[in-house]
Amino acid sequence: MQSVSESAVAGRPKTSVTLVVNGQRHTLEVEPRWLLSDVLRHQLGLTGTHVGCEQGVCGSCTVLVDGQPQRSCLMFAVQAEGHEITTVEGLTPEQGLSPLQAAFERHHALQCGFCTPGMIVTAEALLRENPNPDEETIREVLSGNLCRCTGYQSIVAAVQDAARVLREGGAVDTEVAAQGQNEAAGGEQA
Amino acid sequence: MSITQGPLKPQFTGARVTRLEDARLLRGRGRYLDDIDVPGTLHVAFVRSNRPAARIVSIDVEGALAVPGVHAVWTAEDCGITLYTERYDVGQPVLAKDEVRFVGEAVAAVFAEDRYVAEDAAERVRVVYDALPPVLTFDEALSEEGRRVHAHRANLFHHTEHETDGFAGAFANAPHRAQATFVTHRQTGVPMEPRGCMAQLDAATGRLTVYVSHQSPHQFRSQLTRLLQMPENQIRVVVPEVGGAFGIKAMLYPEYLVVADAARRLGRPVKWVSDRTESLLADAHARDNRHEVEVAFDDEGRILAVRDHVFGDTGAYPFLGFPGAVGEAGWATSMLTGPYKIPHVSITVDCVFSNKAPEGAYRGVGGPVGAQVQEGIIDLVARRLGKDVADVRRINFIRDEDFPYQTATGNVYDPGSYAESMEQALALIDYERFRREQAELRRQGRYLGIGICTFVEPSAGAESEAGSTPYEAASLRIEPTGTVTAALGLGPSGQGHETTMAQLIADQLGVDIKDVVVIHGDTDSAPFGGGTGGSRSGTIGGGAALRASQEMRQRLIKLAAHLLEAAEEDVELVDGHAQVKGVPARAYSVRDLARIAYTDVARLPEGMQPGLEVVVRYQPPLSATYSNGTHVALVEVDVKTGFVRVLDYVVVNDCGRLINPMIVEGQIHGGVAQGIGSAFLEELRYDDSGQLVTTSLMDYLLPAATDVPRMRVTHIETPSANVGGFKGMGEGSLIAAPPALAGAVSDALAPFGVFVTEIPVHPRQILEWVQGGVHSA
Repeated sequence: MQSVSESAVAGRPKTSVTLVVNGQRHTLEVEPRWLLSDVLRHQLGLTGTHVGCEQGVCGSCTVLVDGQPQRSCLMFAVQAEGHEITTVEGLTPEQGLSPLQAAFERHHALQCGFCTPGMIVTAEALLRENPNPDEETIREVLSGNLCRCTGYQSIVAAVQDAARVLREGGAVDTEVAAQGQNEAAGGEQA
Repeated sequence: MSITQGPLKPQFTGARVTRLEDARLLRGRGRYLDDIDVPGTLHVAFVRSNRPAARIVSIDVEGALAVPGVHAVWTAEDCGITLYTERYDVGQPVLAKDEVRFVGEAVAAVFAEDRYVAEDAAERVRVVYDALPPVLTFDEALSEEGRRVHAHRANLFHHTEHETDGFAGAFANAPHRAQATFVTHRQTGVPMEPRGCMAQLDAATGRLTVYVSHQSPHQFRSQLTRLLQMPENQIRVVVPEVGGAFGIKAMLYPEYLVVADAARRLGRPVKWVSDRTESLLADAHARDNRHEVEVAFDDEGRILAVRDHVFGDTGAYPFLGFPGAVGEAGWATSMLTGPYKIPHVSITVDCVFSNKAPEGAYRGVGGPVGAQVQEGIIDLVARRLGKDVADVRRINFIRDEDFPYQTATGNVYDPGSYAESMEQALALIDYERFRREQAELRRQGRYLGIGICTFVEPSAGAESEAGSTPYEAASLRIEPTGTVTAALGLGPSGQGHETTMAQLIADQLGVDIKDVVVIHGDTDSAPFGGGTGGSRSGTIGGGAALRASQEMRQRLIKLAAHLLEAAEEDVELVDGHAQVKGVPARAYSVRDLARIAYTDVARLPEGMQPGLEVVVRYQPPLSATYSNGTHVALVEVDVKTGFVRVLDYVVVNDCGRLINPMIVEGQIHGGVAQGIGSAFLEELRYDDSGQLVTTSLMDYLLPAATDVPRMRVTHIETPSANVGGFKGMGEGSLIAAPPALAGAVSDALAPFGVFVTEIPVHPRQILEWVQGGVHSA
C-alpha cells in the first residue's frame, strides 16, 4: 500500500504529467514510479478507487483507461498521459445512482463495499460492450475482481438486472424491481 | 421501568429493506482507513524478519536514516512495548527483541515522508541474524529433543482433558469402532481492505486519536489504555468504514502499538496500511488443527461415543486475549457433537507454539474444524455400515422433544430445527433423484457426489474474539427536530448494522427508517460495547436497539398522553405520530413531541426530564443461543484433471427471527464462497525451511465468480428466548460449507475408496487418489 503525501521529498526527481480523469484535465508533478492508483487517490482525492493487493490480482483498483478496465495498481501515473481515465466517481451521476449502481443496491450486491467500485467499473465496461450478457459471461468477466463478502451471486444478479433496465431504456420501477428480487429468491427455492 | 409491548405492526423488521449504507459505498464515497489523509503524516514501512527463527545479532539503521525524507527508524530499543500474556508467560515485543520467531515478524519501523521513501529506506536496514532451527510441525513442537520457541517455557502451552462418566465402558462395549484423522491447513480471513492504523495527537488537549480498521472499538481502546499507560479518556478510537474483517480485525496487532506510540512521541500524525504480502505474512492465521478421532457406534449407525485428540498450532505468540489455537480447539470440541445425540465424549486438547505466524480468529473459529469432525464421523459410520449418509444423520439427530438439550460437552441448546432443516434441504436438491442419477452417471464415467452438513452455530455468547462483554449498549436520541440518532458499540464491516438496527428502531418509534441514523465506531460518541464478533451483533446489539427504542417509545407515549389528556394505553405511535388510538385527528407528530421535550419544557408532565435521550444495555438471558441449518453441496469431480466443480448448493437456515432476510442471505452466500475457498483453494503454505510461500493472491487463492455456484437459500424461523427472538448467524455458513464440500468429494469418489479427511483438497491430491489407488478410511 503506497501513499503519496503532498510534501514529497525534496530533491527526488519529478516529472510533469497531464492526466484526463473523469473528463477533467489535471497537470501534476509526480515521481515517475508513483502508481496511477496512488496518484488518483492521494493527489486527486479520488478515493473511490481502492487498493486491495498491489499485485494486480484483486481488481479493487480497476479504472477505465480509454474505456477498457485496467488495474490502476499496475500502471504508473506517467503511463496514463494521453489516455482518458474514468473512475467510479466518473460513473456516478450528480444525483442518485447510475442504473448499475441502483441494481447493486436493489440486489444487495455489496457488503463491505471495498471491492464495489472495481466491480462497478468492470461491469460498466461489460455492459457498454455487451448489452445482454448471459450469466456465464458475467461471471467470466467479473472473475478478475475478487469479493470476499457476497459470494458473487447478488453481483451477477445485479449486473443482469442492470442490463435489462438499460435495454429497456434506463427507467427503473423500484417497486417492480424489489418484487422481482423477492420472486427471484422465491423462485430459486422452487 | 415497565415497557409497553404495544401491538406493533412492524413495517421494516423482517422485510427485505435495501441498505442505508449502500448509496455512499456505491458512489465511491465510503471513507476507509487509507482514505484518511492528514497533512504532515509520517508513513511507516516495517522491516520484517525473513527468518523463521534466529537470534538478532545486530540491527544497523544508519543506511536507512541517511535516505532523504526519513524521519526516524525504530527498533525494540526505541519502542519496548510487549504484548504479554500472563497465563502462558509469553510476551510479544511489538518490535522483535533479541530473537525473531516467525517470518514476517516486525523487526524495525521506518517513518518517512511517504510510503515509497519508507519502503526504500526499509531495504537499507541491515539486520544480522544467527539462525536457529525452526519448529514447524506439531511433532517437532512436542518432541522431547525439539527446540523451544520460547526458551523459558515448553512449546506445549495449553492442555485440557474432558471425559464423560461412563465413556470407557460405552466405547469398549460398542459393536463397532472406526478411526480417522481430520486436518485443516492454515488459512486466513483476507478481507479485501488490508489492515491499517493511523494516529495523531491533539497538541492542544494532549488526546490521542487512533483510527483503526477494527471490529471492537472499545476493546481496542481498553488495550491501548493499558499498553500505552494513558488515561482512557485521553484516547479516542475511531473505526472508519471497514472493508471486511472476518475475525482477523478483532485482534490486537503489534503494528498498531508502534503507530500509536510514534504519533505520541514523534509529534506527527503516523499512518501504516498493510500491503497484501504483509497481510498474508502477519494477519492472524487460523485453522492449523489436527483431530485424531475414534468413533464407536452400533449396527444401526447410532453413535455411542467419540474420542478426539486435538492438536492446535498457534504459531509463535498468543494474540492478547485470543490465542487462536486455544479458541479453535475450544470451539471445535465444545461443538463436537453438533446436532447429534452423542452421549459420550473423551476430549484431549494440546496446543503448541511454533515458528509460524500467530493464529487468531477467522470467521467460524474452530467451528468449521469441529463440523468437519462431526460430519466426518457420520459419513465414516455410513460408509462402514453401507448405509445412506442421510439415514445415519436421521438416526442420530437431537429431536424437537429433546430441547433444551444438554450436550455431552456441556452446552445447553435452545430449540432448533435440525432434522427439519435437513429434510427440507434434501427435498430442495431432490436427493432421491440424485442418487438414481449418480449411479447412472458413474456408469458413464462421471463422478458426482453430494455432501451434507447440518450445523449448529453458537451465537451471541458471553465470550468471543470480540472479548468478554456479555452485553451491548445502545444510546438513542430523538433530536429536537424529530429525527433519530442511535449509537452502538458495534464494529460492523459490511454486515449492514446501520440498516438492521434502524429497522428495529423505526418500527418501535413508528417513524420512517430514513429518519434514523445509526452511528458506531467512535468511542467518543458510541457507548461502551463489545463490538462485532462471535455472531453477536444482530442478537445482542439488536436486543439493545430494541430495548432502547422501547424505552423511548414509552417516553413518547407518556408525553403524548399528557398533552392529549388521554390514558397512556389509549395512545399509539403510527407513521411518525402519537395519536389517540384510531383517531388521527387527535395526534402530535414525533417532531412536535421532540420540540416540546427540548424547548417547551413547561408542557412536560410532572417529573419528566427534558429532552429525549436514553442509554440501554442489554444482556441476553441465555449464555448463548444456537442457530442451525443444513447445507447440501452437489459436486462433480473431473477424474482426468482433478478439478472439482460445485454444480448445485442449497442452504436451509434457521437463525430465529429474521431482521432482514436479504442481509441474512448475503451473509450465507459469502460464507459458502469462503467455504469453497477453504475446501479447495486456500492454504498458507510454509516450506521446510519455515518460509511462507503463499505471499500473494496468486499463491493464496481466493474463490472468484467462476468458482462459486448459484446457491439456493431458504429459511426456518425457530425463535430464541432473547428479546426479538433473534439468533446470530454470521459464521454458520462458513462452518457448514467446508464439511459439506469435503463430504461431496468423498461421495463422488467413493468408487475409488476415497474418504476426504484433509482440507483443502487440491487437484493434485485427487489425481493421486484416483490414479494411485485407495485412500480409504
